[in-house]
Amino acid sequence: MEFRQPGGRKLFTRAILGVLAIVMLVPVIVTFLYSFCSPQEIEAFMKTRGNYDTSVWMEVKLSPKIFSLGQYYEILVLDMSILRMFVNSALYAVMILLGQAVVVPMMAYALSRFRFKGREAIFFGIIMLMLLPFQVTMVPNVLTLRTIGLLNTVWAVIIPMWFSPFYIFLIRQFMLGLPNELLEAAQVDGAGTLRCYAYVVMPVCRPVIGAAVALSFADCWNLVEQPMTYLSQRMDLYPLSVEFNRLAGSNAKIVFAGAALYILPALFIYLYFLDDILSGVQLTELK
Amino acid sequence: MFIRKKSVWLFLLPGLLGLLLFYVVPFFGGIYYSLTDGTYRNAFVGISNYTGMWQNQMFLLGLKNTLELSLICAPLVWVFSFFIASLLNRLRPRGAFFRNSVLLPYLMPSSAMLLFWLVIFDFGGVINRLVTALGFDRVMWLQGTEMRVPIILLFVWKNLGFAVIIFLSAIQAVPEPLYEYATLEGAGFLRQTFGITLPMIVPTAFLVIILEWINAFKIFKEVYFISGSYPDESVYTLQHYMNNMYNKLNYQNVTTAAYSFAVIVFALFGVLFLTQRRLLKRLS
Repeated sequence: MEFRQPGGRKLFTRAILGVLAIVMLVPVIVTFLYSFCSPQEIEAFMKTRGNYDTSVWMEVKLSPKIFSLGQYYEILVLDMSILRMFVNSALYAVMILLGQAVVVPMMAYALSRFRFKGREAIFFGIIMLMLLPFQVTMVPNVLTLRTIGLLNTVWAVIIPMWFSPFYIFLIRQFMLGLPNELLEAAQVDGAGTLRCYAYVVMPVCRPVIGAAVALSFADCWNLVEQPMTYLSQRMDLYPLSVEFNRLAGSNAKIVFAGAALYILPALFIYLYFLDDILSGVQLTELK
Repeated sequence: MFIRKKSVWLFLLPGLLGLLLFYVVPFFGGIYYSLTDGTYRNAFVGISNYTGMWQNQMFLLGLKNTLELSLICAPLVWVFSFFIASLLNRLRPRGAFFRNSVLLPYLMPSSAMLLFWLVIFDFGGVINRLVTALGFDRVMWLQGTEMRVPIILLFVWKNLGFAVIIFLSAIQAVPEPLYEYATLEGAGFLRQTFGITLPMIVPTAFLVIILEWINAFKIFKEVYFISGSYPDESVYTLQHYMNNMYNKLNYQNVTTAAYSFAVIVFALFGVLFLTQRRLLKRLS
């Protein structure tokens, strides 16, 4: 390693990556810092936005003048409307992840550790589905949801996400790489396919399952298209992710606390599953 | 590997049932919608919905913008993530902090980050302070065509990390002696990157551009965050058009637009796939 990179140039690499790391982290950090401004301070600050007079600048604000928990007090105690949307978001994320936990690994197992007629055809179908953007897949989803009467209920957002082709692909690629000896040893001991799945494959796949949970959570926590189309007549069921745009205008004095509160679960997921994401994402190629 | 086990269907059943019910069967059912006129008679009209759609100004505008934005975003993420992964690889086994901070945004809800974006891209905001410091006039980032800049940056900020991780795991699998030999021959970092790393990871590079492209078609999200449901013409995406038609209960137009788009997407990915096949053949 050292041999390849003589002295000074590694410093250059570090400098570039250092700047990059700052750019990546600052939005998150500043959002947290702003959430500790008092409601009056942040409201006054947000009011200076949208001024097209070339002689006026917005103040460059990094941290609150006085540390205050006022915004949190407002959203957690005085006005619970943001909290209600937060609960909606959590409901969607939990229900989607539970469904995926049942459907996705089993499908990946069948497509990677079994040889049967139609395997390639099914996998090809899943790849095709993965390539289709939401604009296309929303049509079949809507048609079925409308037929069985689930439009404008929470299930319209939840159920179609259970069959997410990308996570089937992700886990299948990982399972393909497992050594055959692993399962053969279990078979010699008399384990059937179900027992192999539950006691051999699943524990070994811990990293990729963790990665899939984290990535899928990130998706669920940032839902926009699905609620906006499937729940167009039930705005009260919207998750918080859809509402920030509106809140930035109408509720400027508390919106940063809402944002910080919304980031917090994502931050925990990130810290908890970081190692899994790094070791679980081993997509070699489209086979 | 299990061969001819009946229990495979037990594992396939829930997923297959769902995929058939929510995706495959209605997908073909939808073709019927796109070929009828949508009145109470539901008469068969052939492909006239499609020919009409290709003359619809709003559809074409949405399609153009979606394709343009994705053609900017996907290659941008692709190129940056490849270089960042190469740089990170030089610091191995250290540099974990840099790698982790690049990954962080991928897990963050960009919906909550939009506040920060609105603040710094304001007419009197930090970005414009930098712009004037460099000697240019202030730019109205949140209006008109300029709005594409914050939208694209929000997308890149969020999606860069995942692509970096995929690239990094592929680059780490490139055998180390290749680099040592190249260093002895006097090849620098850039020569090594383009001469060794890139040819060795063509399948991964192909995968990343596809994944990012799929992601970039969802740029409606970023557009909605920054400009709301009724955006400027320059960022009016296909999803806006479809939501509009959907809310008017015009299923004929929704299905026709979706399937027209599907054909384009498959054509694009087909070309990309053939290019990759060619490239791999030439390299081996």
